Amino acid sequence: MTVKHWFPLALGVVVALLIPAVTHDNYVIQLLNIAILNAIVVLGLNFATGWVGQINFGQAAFYGLGAYTTGIAAKAGLPWITTPFLSVVIVMAASLVLGLPTLRLRTYYLAMTTIGFGEIVRLIIVHWEPVTGGTSGLRAIPGIGVFGIGPQGQVQHYYLLIAVLAIAALVAARIRQSSLGRAMIATKDSEIAAEQSGVDTTRTKLIAFMIGAVYAGLAGCLYASSIRFISPDSFSGTQAILLMTMLIVGGMGSIPGCIIGAVGLTILPEALRFLGQWYLVLYGLGVIAVIVLAPGGLASLASRLPRWAGAR
Amino acid sequence: MTDQAIITARGVTRRFGGLVALDDVDLDVPKGIVQAIIGPNGSGKTTLLNALSGASHADAGSIRIDGKEIFRLRPNRIARLGLARTFQNIRVFSNLTVLENVKVAAACNTPMSMLNIMLSNGTQRQREAEIESTSREALEIVSLAARADDRPTQLPYAQQRLLEIARALASKPKVLLLDEPAAGMNMTESMTLLDTIAKLKGKGITILLVEHNVRLVMGISDRVAVLDFGKKIAEGAPSAVQQNPLVIEAYLGRRHRHA
Amino acid sequence: MGQLVVNGLALGSIYALVALGLLLIFNTVQIVNFAQGQLLMLGAFIGISGAVTHELPMALAWASTMLAMALIGIVFMVLVYFPLRGRPPFLVILTTIAMGIVLENIALIIWGPLPVSLPSPVRGPPLRFAGVVISMHQLFIFCTLAVILLLQYLMLTKTRFGILMQATAQDLHTARLVGIPVNRTIAVAFAFGAILSGIAGLLVAPIFLAEPTMGGSLGLKGFVVSVIGGFGNLPGAVIGGLFLGLIETFGARYISSNFRDAYAFIVMIAVLVAWPRGLFGEKSSEKV
Ligand SMILES: Nc1ncnc2c1ncn2[C@@H]1O[C@H](COP(=O)(O)OP(=O)(O)OP(=O)(O)O)[C@@H](O)[C@H]1O
Ligand SMILES: [Mg+2]
Repeated sequence: MTVKHWFPLALGVVVALLIPAVTHDNYVIQLLNIAILNAIVVLGLNFATGWVGQINFGQAAFYGLGAYTTGIAAKAGLPWITTPFLSVVIVMAASLVLGLPTLRLRTYYLAMTTIGFGEIVRLIIVHWEPVTGGTSGLRAIPGIGVFGIGPQGQVQHYYLLIAVLAIAALVAARIRQSSLGRAMIATKDSEIAAEQSGVDTTRTKLIAFMIGAVYAGLAGCLYASSIRFISPDSFSGTQAILLMTMLIVGGMGSIPGCIIGAVGLTILPEALRFLGQWYLVLYGLGVIAVIVLAPGGLASLASRLPRWAGAR
Repeated sequence: MTDQAIITARGVTRRFGGLVALDDVDLDVPKGIVQAIIGPNGSGKTTLLNALSGASHADAGSIRIDGKEIFRLRPNRIARLGLARTFQNIRVFSNLTVLENVKVAAACNTPMSMLNIMLSNGTQRQREAEIESTSREALEIVSLAARADDRPTQLPYAQQRLLEIARALASKPKVLLLDEPAAGMNMTESMTLLDTIAKLKGKGITILLVEHNVRLVMGISDRVAVLDFGKKIAEGAPSAVQQNPLVIEAYLGRRHRHA
Repeated sequence: MGQLVVNGLALGSIYALVALGLLLIFNTVQIVNFAQGQLLMLGAFIGISGAVTHELPMALAWASTMLAMALIGIVFMVLVYFPLRGRPPFLVILTTIAMGIVLENIALIIWGPLPVSLPSPVRGPPLRFAGVVISMHQLFIFCTLAVILLLQYLMLTKTRFGILMQATAQDLHTARLVGIPVNRTIAVAFAFGAILSGIAGLLVAPIFLAEPTMGGSLGLKGFVVSVIGGFGNLPGAVIGGLFLGLIETFGARYISSNFRDAYAFIVMIAVLVAWPRGLFGEKSSEKV
């Protein structure tokens, strides 16, 4: 790692840590908290989609499974500390059930099965009303707390979530630097060459998919216990598409790209509220523009920036 | 069957619809030699390599590598048993660096644990260090060490072929299959390639070399097998094969038929 | 029971129409249009604009809708297909989804979120026999599907366009080399694909009412049908559509109507787990 790598990273961390000092608006901080949670989910999506190249519209459903597992468990009176584990167990089981038979499918079919999975999960959440609260969701979910100690207020939650995001990004970076990360990218670039180099591509696909689900499940757990209100809308098919666009716009395969994309596309709709319905029109056109003009996403534009500025 | 044969293939057959791309092919390759497979375009050379490496399985037959039956095993299993290959149409990992391309294969027999990766502990760092040194050695052999941090797509065509060889070597194979490694290379590059192949043979690696440029392989090969329309029509020492009327007919006759 | 069959088949006919539109585009350029449902929705609303808002005669409203859909199909091609030619299917999926979002929200801006109804082009008392009621509109749906199926079959097998389309699908590059007007062929495919979904929209609106968000699930159903029936398979699309219509109608009646939209996906996932390339799936062997 050189100064070129360290500087933007350090800058990002400093800015992130200073934000609560600049704004005391709880609404803004809560929005940022959701942005951070989305960033964790998108980092998870990046394993299967950004690195292995497998389309996945099921990520929102894993996010939702994690959130609902935690919401239901916490409301039933289980101590908070058990909820991350429960969420992880549930999403791992679900990702195994979905991934095992479907990861060999071709792009279109995989897209459809993951959309279908998301839709089935959503329908279960909506219609299993006594447990999930149906369309009105679950309210007043007990907050994060271990032996009575936990973050109070939006700002403390913000710092906690920033720390979790940092760990999530660090783990992703370590995977990228390991034989597992290389196997993922090799699988995307040429499945057959990867196989002939000794990579079990089926297993690699499944592992990437499952790690991604675990990221989403944990983010879901934190969502339920820090926002303390969940409803099916936050984990719908629309959300799945949004997560995918965060990844594409930020830059597939790039860890900073995932974070930029997730934070940007979580905040943008709020900032552009005045556009009303036009926002979604522009959003759709913007996604097409990025895919056509900058296939590497914003992260790739950023890496071109120094050259434009004449720096080296 | 010679007991020191490292590849023993029996009755290997592959059909594509009505086309019989490999027709009951037998092949014995003794340990440590350079075995060439030649034949006109479309004679089934690549199909044979695919059957051996598991990339595209044969419909029938038996294939043993070093005594182990590998027929219909997944390619990654075959790779881990010690068979590596390169591709006729280059397949490098374009989103990895040159060094990382090689590392993919170098990790082939290294155990992997999520926990170690997440903790990035001593075991993990030592494993990665071993993978790195194996990979750098492999790049050294094909003289690509200086390009380690470049993207493979920044390399000229000939060097991408060398990168594939380095990648194959990094898995420390017993058998190396090369599918037209000299394609797209100029004379000097081809000569260097032949030197490299000789070096590898010196290290005890058995090499199966597919070429349709007959002259190129004659000097370096210990044995030559000739395929035509999916059948093995001749096999033996290079000089003997060159004189074989069936072989001359396959090469020259085809050209006449086309003309 | 008999009534459920009729209702299921009517619904299934509409799914089949969506699938036929998808098929036309897929057969020519090998891309799956995830905005097909939004095209259907546009068809419904353009029809409503004509027939209800501007009080045009029904035939004229239908004709102008089809014309508008042809244009929209071509615009769609220019915006979505051309810039992405030869790019990975992954990106094409996302682009068509994004285009669907654009269309849906433009519709919301123009027509508002409230459901509106479109009268059926046919009037008259329903037919009854053996306790089964078949409305004139249902009858009209069946006839439309039959006519379109026949026309599409003739077009693909008997006309010059059909041959050009097949050649384009098989090998775009070679097709261009031998002088086939590739772009024009593709444009025609997109235009007809859009017209078919427009017709589906005109047929759905009298039953379910039209609203800008109606497209999403109908488009996906069309895709499910294509998977069940096999991509690019004309009879497969029709049989798959009718089959899905029946499954949904019966599932909603006898299992649970809450999970109506899930049955399609469950069937599709089951089919794909058993036959990873679809029921009548294309066999392709990648060259190594
Ligand atoms: N996946 C496939 N599907 C259909 N036919 C195939 C496939 N792969 C190979 N073939 C056919 O099998 C025959 C043998 O092909 P192969 O690639 O093995 O020839 P080759 O000897 O390697 O030729 P070349 O010198 O051109 O590389 C050819 O007729 C080819 O068209
Ligand atoms: Mg070949």
